[in-house]
Amino acid sequence: MERDIGKPLFNLFLLVASASAFVAAAALPNIEIVGDLSPAFFPQLLSGLIFLFAIPCLIKDAREWWIAKQIHSDTPHALQVRSIAQWLFVVALLAGYIFVFERIGYIASTGLFTFFCIMGFVVISGVWSTLSMSQRWKSLLSTLVFSTILAVAIFYVFTVLFKIPLPT
Amino acid sequence: MISGYLDGLGMVLQISTLLAIAGGTLLGIIMGSLPGLTSAMAIALLLPVTFGMPPVAGIGMLLGALCGAGASGSIPAILLNIPGTPSSVATTFDGFPMAQKGEAGRALGLAIVASFFGGVASMVILSLLAPPIAEFALRFGPAEYFSLSIFGLVIIASVAGKSLLKGLIAGLIGFFVSTIGTDPITGVGRFTFNELSLLTGVNLLPALIGLFAVSQVLKDTFEYDPHERMKESAHRIDIARPRFIETLKHWKAVVIGVISGSVVGPIPGAGGSIASLVAYDQARRFSKTPEKFGSGHASGIVSVESANNALLGGALIPTLALGIPGEAATAVLLGGLMIQGITPGPLLFADQSGTVYGIFLAYLIANIFMLLIMCLGIKLFIRVLTVPRKQLLAAILVFCFIGVYGVDGDVFNLYLMLGFGILGYFLNRYGFGTAPVILGLILGPIAESNLRRGLQSFQGDWTPFFTRPISITFLIIALALLVLTLWQNYRTNQKNAASG
Repeated sequence: MERDIGKPLFNLFLLVASASAFVAAAALPNIEIVGDLSPAFFPQLLSGLIFLFAIPCLIKDAREWWIAKQIHSDTPHALQVRSIAQWLFVVALLAGYIFVFERIGYIASTGLFTFFCIMGFVVISGVWSTLSMSQRWKSLLSTLVFSTILAVAIFYVFTVLFKIPLPT
Repeated sequence: MISGYLDGLGMVLQISTLLAIAGGTLLGIIMGSLPGLTSAMAIALLLPVTFGMPPVAGIGMLLGALCGAGASGSIPAILLNIPGTPSSVATTFDGFPMAQKGEAGRALGLAIVASFFGGVASMVILSLLAPPIAEFALRFGPAEYFSLSIFGLVIIASVAGKSLLKGLIAGLIGFFVSTIGTDPITGVGRFTFNELSLLTGVNLLPALIGLFAVSQVLKDTFEYDPHERMKESAHRIDIARPRFIETLKHWKAVVIGVISGSVVGPIPGAGGSIASLVAYDQARRFSKTPEKFGSGHASGIVSVESANNALLGGALIPTLALGIPGEAATAVLLGGLMIQGITPGPLLFADQSGTVYGIFLAYLIANIFMLLIMCLGIKLFIRVLTVPRKQLLAAILVFCFIGVYGVDGDVFNLYLMLGFGILGYFLNRYGFGTAPVILGLILGPIAESNLRRGLQSFQGDWTPFFTRPISITFLIIALALLVLTLWQNYRTNQKNAASG
């Protein structure tokens, strides 16, 4: 059995989200057409079913988590903390990439995203601290070259060859 | 039919179409050989590239990716004992032992040729079976389409998630997301939150790329370990060349593989791992030397690999004829067809027969390209296994952005993609699966509009949905499957409890 609080928490999130969707659907205007269902019928039916199905999932996962917690009461492993940090870093970086995508143009935003994404992995994973000064410079330089080539090459391939417009 | 094939041949035999199929096959081979990257992800990433292409070229490219990934999953399975795709699990049984004996090149040669035979045979079966099924489906009205949608959703939900309830929840989430936008009958805006981009509903592409590519990258990000090194394996490729004669010597295993793949393939949700395991088991039963299986026996590799690629053609039968994909990769392919303006289903065969036969031929050519590319580039693809993960993950995300932004230049779709990526990550992590979400998203509008149109034409009467023969048949099968899956889950839980 897994000791992952995320499982019951995700089920709880589904319960809250489906209940909110049910309430929001109830507020949809109704237009009477003979034989037809209201626009709220399907959203309410679906959110209601999600809510109903999520209850047994929540009970089962919460029970499993509780049993596993009794068996393994250790603190989160350093490896898990690092994994979470890597994950959050990439999600935040993606949100930032979207935010600046049109503002600073494709080549600049993609180059920056790629550079920080790769360097983020190097730093958060702990590899950076094990490198000598010359290796650090080498890592920075190779990442810079890779990011620049990737951004420029993709830009020209897609805008010129595939005629897909990208922000400049 | 002959005129359809001639029209299709005209569409396929163009330099641009052939290049597109070759490009798709190449990318599929690369993606399939990387453990953790799926054929569904390869198709999702290729979707934007196909936008400007004619339908057959675009779909040919996606089929190439499907075919290439299906075959190349055997590379890490044979060399590293790590299946590149779930359907390559059984390839490890004999492929890796053969590689350990110093015959990795032989194992790869057998796998390549067996995949080719399986793919070509399944194309023949696809072209023979899909048209009559589609013709039968021309009888469908709103009630039948509604029941078919429920049937498809139940089937994929029962196999995609780790539990039936979770699979159903995932399908219902996709179904719910499909209700966002303007109501198709009354024109009422639903859950649009005054966002113009949502008025026409949630775009399929951000959902596809988010659920299948971004979520996978987020998973790989979570599991990223810089100290993990792929074993250097290139030195084991001693005599990597196609083994036609040797594969034909194991013709029984090829036939068993083709039959297993073609029978299991059209069953929605059955999946590649089942087909390959069935083929492996049957090949061992019919073998004169069953004791050799598991120790690097050629028949073991041939049966599994021919089943893997025969499965793909089989899985295309319900996808093209009914619009019901059986698993994740064909669900993404279905999305690709719809983005190309092709609505799979019976009317496709009636209205655009040239396109349909063009797709069949494109699949055949994809298999030929798979054979050629695998034979010529085998030593190169093995190098793919050594590409640093951090560069690969960053590059995949960059491609995801182009794919989604390229649809209509709307940044909102990028936020949607990220949202679906995060949702997909948690759905996969907690055993819900992402394939049912996509299927819900695709089948939702079909189910809702047909139910409501049906009710309007039946004056609000629900009974025709349960009395029309085809409609009730679909509903009964769906119900039976639900009960069967619940029973299987119950039995598994009982066994687990008994074994402590």
